[in-house]
Amino acid sequence: MSDDLLRSSQLPGVTRFQWQQLLGPIVVIVVLSYVISSISITFTFLTEGTLALLVMVLGLQVFIGNSGVLSFGQAAFAMVGGFATGLLTVPVKIKENVLDELWEPLKAINMGIWPSLVIAVAIGAFFAFLTGLFLMRLSGLAAGIATFALLMVADNVFFNWRLIGPGPQVMPQVPKFGFVDESIILAVVVMVVVYLIGISRRGRLLRATREDPLAARALGASVWRLRVLFFTVSGGIAALSGAMYAHHSGAVSARDFYLGFTFTTLAMLVIGGATSMWGAVVGTIAVTAIGQVLLEFESGVTLGGIDITLPNGARGVVIAAALVAILIWRPKGITGGREFTLRLPFLNRP
Amino acid sequence: MTQMLEAASIVKSFGAIHVLEDVTVSVNKGEVVGLLGPNGAGKTTLVNIIAGYETQDSGTVAIDGRNLDGMTPEARTHAGLARTFQSGRLFPDLTVTENIVLGAIGSGCSTKKANGRAAAAIEMLGLSGVQTESAAGLSHGLSRLVGLARAVTSEPDYLIMDEPAAGLNDHETPALLAALDSIRRESGCGMLLIEHNVGLVAAACSRVFVLASGELLFEGNPQDALVDEGVLSAYLGDATMGLHGGRA
Repeated sequence: MSDDLLRSSQLPGVTRFQWQQLLGPIVVIVVLSYVISSISITFTFLTEGTLALLVMVLGLQVFIGNSGVLSFGQAAFAMVGGFATGLLTVPVKIKENVLDELWEPLKAINMGIWPSLVIAVAIGAFFAFLTGLFLMRLSGLAAGIATFALLMVADNVFFNWRLIGPGPQVMPQVPKFGFVDESIILAVVVMVVVYLIGISRRGRLLRATREDPLAARALGASVWRLRVLFFTVSGGIAALSGAMYAHHSGAVSARDFYLGFTFTTLAMLVIGGATSMWGAVVGTIAVTAIGQVLLEFESGVTLGGIDITLPNGARGVVIAAALVAILIWRPKGITGGREFTLRLPFLNRP
Repeated sequence: MTQMLEAASIVKSFGAIHVLEDVTVSVNKGEVVGLLGPNGAGKTTLVNIIAGYETQDSGTVAIDGRNLDGMTPEARTHAGLARTFQSGRLFPDLTVTENIVLGAIGSGCSTKKANGRAAAAIEMLGLSGVQTESAAGLSHGLSRLVGLARAVTSEPDYLIMDEPAAGLNDHETPALLAALDSIRRESGCGMLLIEHNVGLVAAACSRVFVLASGELLFEGNPQDALVDEGVLSAYLGDATMGLHGGRA
């Protein structure tokens, strides 16, 4: 077998760790984030928000891209993450004054942003695990409907239950990130995690279950266990996204993570290409860029002396149309589901 | 304890249709056994029951005395059983190598060990020329070989092959025969070969079971099966079968 092991190091066509594939998307995100955020304070705000969305799309990619199971419910875990970090970091006095119906033990808690992020991720992953134990027995349309029901349950709970939040109001005074660096660091960490779990043994087996669950079972893969595991990881990442969004905007409400958020992030994933991390990155950048341009047009733009004002909602229509076009003509997304490989001489040495 | 894969007294019906009637087959460790039968004889149903994809109405399936009844297909794989599919069932978006490596990874191997097993299987089955190709683009015959390589990398105690020679050309069939012999000698695993190619079964197998209309018609030496009157009459109605070394 030692000869076999020797040969295996050069085994062509096998999935393996490649620095070039990991660094490519990271370099793009880091460079773009610093360049765009340096333009103005508005663009810094936009960059932070986009990085929170990117983390969400990466969370979707980990589960949907690798398992092939469509989930509309991951935003529920973003909701959990946003509320968890909000409740843990909003000053006690604000809670006493604004969130008067809040459960008493929650009023007394106050901590810094970083520990609250860790706890938010843990709580999001825990809820994803609990719900995944049941939901991951489903596939196809049934899984889509059941995960959508999960989103509706989460929205109703957070929108109405004042013991754990502001109900239909907004939870104010969530401490904001001081710099864009914090969002960049978190996004890069998530990218590393998503890449490594994607090329892990279980990640590769989950992709096999996506292609042919029956054949994957014959190889010893438990479809249910793998899906529960990746649903849990995805839930933790979604919770981080919700928490990042809360610390970016300085406030959090249930409706921040409902249908609009779900549609936008799923569109980003599908347009970029669901089966690769690079697809998640490209989709997030493309949809954000299109959205920003159309937002300008909705506000009114003068081009060559002609005033152009698009009706409100044009952004949503165009993104939906792009989503449909991609699904029809390029179902694997802009990237074709492939990873981006950074070609640098010092990285490409054998 | 006798080391064998045994499906004993298997009965299976789909509604009013009786597919298997008290069928018993067994494969000893290190032995290649053929399972023959005309279309609709119940061969694939029997394989699906052994592999855990169907549940029998009565009877038991056991490996080395360990009862497998109630176990999922993946649990049976971990218990030492591997199978190939009639239609190949490769993972189309993955490369040939990745398909084969996953066979070892699924059985619990480390990545390094899985790569080593895959490299050995690729070499043994002569697949090095298509390693980096997508499995979706393979010919029917190559798909069968990749499916076999994928099953072999789990290093099973028993391997069930559902028509591995279907779609292979005249050059590929002898290569498959040689590969089966290599697998048996190197791994010592027992193999159940479901085939229409009687010539291949006669060359590869030491024992043969013949199924017809869900009942076990014959058990014994392949050469004896070729002259058995019951077997002959069962096949005479099946124009797709050539019994004397021919193939479907």
